[in-house]
Amino acid sequence: MTHYHKEIIRIQRACYANQTQLNTVIGARNYINCHFQDTVSLDVLSRTLFMSKFHLLRLFRRYYGQTPKQYLIEKRLEHAKHLLATGHSASDTCYQIGFESPSAFSTLFTSRFGISPASFQKRAIFTK
Amino acid sequence: MKVKIISIPVLDQEKALQFYTQTLGFLKKTDLPISENSRWLTVVSKEEQDGPEILLEPAPNHFEPSKIYQKALFDAGIPYTQFNVDDVQAEYDRLAACGVPFSILPMEMGTVKIAVFNDTCGNNIQLVQML
Repeated sequence: MTHYHKEIIRIQRACYANQTQLNTVIGARNYINCHFQDTVSLDVLSRTLFMSKFHLLRLFRRYYGQTPKQYLIEKRLEHAKHLLATGHSASDTCYQIGFESPSAFSTLFTSRFGISPASFQKRAIFTK
Repeated sequence: MKVKIISIPVLDQEKALQFYTQTLGFLKKTDLPISENSRWLTVVSKEEQDGPEILLEPAPNHFEPSKIYQKALFDAGIPYTQFNVDDVQAEYDRLAACGVPFSILPMEMGTVKIAVFNDTCGNNIQLVQML
């Protein structure tokens, strides 16, 4: 067994011993993956996973290094790139990924990727 | 600042190109001669062709400390870098069937599943799947 393999096992025992907590946060992430186009809130996650929303928030942040909301936005924006690249308009994309305001979507997309949704779509189609 | 290139030291650039393209499935992006025995050789992910390029650099053959560092990491089983995949088990099955040696078989570690393979060019590479 290599030094790295031993370290992996040591860290696993030290940091990831609580399988119940792991199952909960992995379940939360899977729920977001399956429902990111719908309304997903901490209340919804907490009811679905039978856990206090504050405890869930703490656990999710501890194991994934970000809040469920941050992950939800990341997931939506990644899917937005896919939709835009396959010809969907910016406003259509906005509603398909669960955003309610095209301007808020455009602002967030631009701040994250340095290019507006409309420009991203044009570039993606031009590059094909 | 933007991340456009990450480099991986390789002992043999041609062998590395074959492994990273034909076995791992990357695409060659740039291949420029630099000197008699060196090329500026980069590959990209097929799924993210506009994403960061991997520079397969022959540093271990030209700079002794690089060779020592690479060997020390390799001998300790430490991955030089890691690639994200959707399904570690499926990639393990595919690569193992191609004869790629693994030092860590697919295993769950908290919120990720990992596996570590030998890239046949002097490095351990870790596959990661977010759970």
